[in-house]
Amino acid sequence: MRASSARYLVGQGVKSIWRNRMMSFASFCIILVSLLMVGVSVLTTINLNRIIGGIEDQSEAAVTIKDDIGKDKQEALKKQIEALPNVATVTFYSKDEAWKNMKKDMSDEQQDLFRYADENPLPDTFRITVKDISHMSETTMQIGTFENVDSVKSPTQFADVLVSIKNILMIIMTAVIAALIVVCLIIISNTTRASVFARRKEINIMKYVGATNRFIRIPFFIEGMLVGIAAAAAALLLTKFAYEGVYGIFKNDMSLWSILGVDNLYPFSKMMVKVTAAYLVSGAFIGAVGTSISAGKHLKV
Amino acid sequence: MVEFKDVSVTYSSGVDALNKVNLKINDGDFAFVVGSSGAGKSTLIKLILKEIDATSGTVMVNGFNLSKLRRRKIPALRRTIGVVFQDFRLIPTMTVYENVAFVLRVIDAPPKYIRSRVPYVISLVGLQDKAKSYPTELSGGEQQRVALARALVNDPQLIIADEPTGNIDPALSYEIVDLLRSINECGTTVLMVTHEHDLVRYFGGRIININHGNIAFDEVIGGNAK
Repeated sequence: MRASSARYLVGQGVKSIWRNRMMSFASFCIILVSLLMVGVSVLTTINLNRIIGGIEDQSEAAVTIKDDIGKDKQEALKKQIEALPNVATVTFYSKDEAWKNMKKDMSDEQQDLFRYADENPLPDTFRITVKDISHMSETTMQIGTFENVDSVKSPTQFADVLVSIKNILMIIMTAVIAALIVVCLIIISNTTRASVFARRKEINIMKYVGATNRFIRIPFFIEGMLVGIAAAAAALLLTKFAYEGVYGIFKNDMSLWSILGVDNLYPFSKMMVKVTAAYLVSGAFIGAVGTSISAGKHLKV
Repeated sequence: MVEFKDVSVTYSSGVDALNKVNLKINDGDFAFVVGSSGAGKSTLIKLILKEIDATSGTVMVNGFNLSKLRRRKIPALRRTIGVVFQDFRLIPTMTVYENVAFVLRVIDAPPKYIRSRVPYVISLVGLQDKAKSYPTELSGGEQQRVALARALVNDPQLIIADEPTGNIDPALSYEIVDLLRSINECGTTVLMVTHEHDLVRYFGGRIININHGNIAFDEVIGGNAK
């Protein structure tokens, strides 16, 4: 295709936006809202995953080893645990170390209480992290059956809650995105119909003089894509402001939220490029594909 | 060249529009197609433009076998044909120049060619002074001449005029037919559908009369002109 033809087609697309400005505005709004909703849900999910991930990293199972079994048996047990498929790391945490840390955390008065305890009351433990937190309870159960294991403590219930929150969020998000895509396509299809109607004489003549289908469709494609990109730009700005606002609230009140791992939140600047690309690409994609599908349907080219 | 071999068209409503029609229009011919409404004239034109397909038989147009022509190739066929309609079908938001140039643009012609070809064609139909006017500022006869310029601009082998004089003053009708005749003299095949018998009698030439889907009459008659 010639450059002059390309210019002509782009010009037609732009003109068409203005000619059907009400419908173009409707498309703009629906793409904007859809992108915002999808964007917000995705960003929320990413951050929730970060938070959950942070908690997961911290959630270790503690395997208490029976007293005085000796170095060899300890090593053997460690190997046995490491051999389990779901176990990520096994760290030995000696009773002396544990005692030292515990005393460090105590106030002076509390330390006084233990001054005369000549024997360390704490056991040796293995700290275990797992690869998949949703299978933590199975893993701890297996470890519990091993020889020389006194007991296994793990935050399994908490892990279960986290996993089910994650799953529910995924389902809700998928449903929201699916519904939005359908609504988007319906509205854009209507816009295109108006646009085709406004240009029906031209299209009719174009067909008689032997314009290719591609040539007839391209202006609609461009119209949809431009509206989509404009909507994406607006959505990006709104998301940036909203995100930074919420982020600020969480960050300024760290003490309250840090227990939940909120310090794992992504600052917007870190994701700016990805979010921008995702918005623009999906905006242009929804607009262009939406109009192309319905242009084909209404043009019967 | 247009050639129909045993062409029948039956619409899905069950109406037989054409019934085993055989017809041959050679390159450089000028033919009037006449017949009462519903006789099958429009079906004939739709077949040539491949808006519809023949139910049986073969249609050949400018070297294309239309029953074998794929949809994707239809634009190539239509670029060899210029069409003039009874209702002009000009785009009201474009000037005369733009209406004509539009055709070349949509077939991806070079801009340089457009700039030289469009004024030439507009002058052929005698509208060089109206190039910047809008269709609504022109008379019916002038509008039809713009439509003719538009049909001519991509230098088609065949021009189909579908009742081109139906919406204009009888006096101006002769002008339009005269224009079509002079285009024909330059070598373009012209097929003009009409039901104005006066016009046909005046100009004479090859007359194809369609009646109830059959060719009732296909002969050359002498006109009153000259």
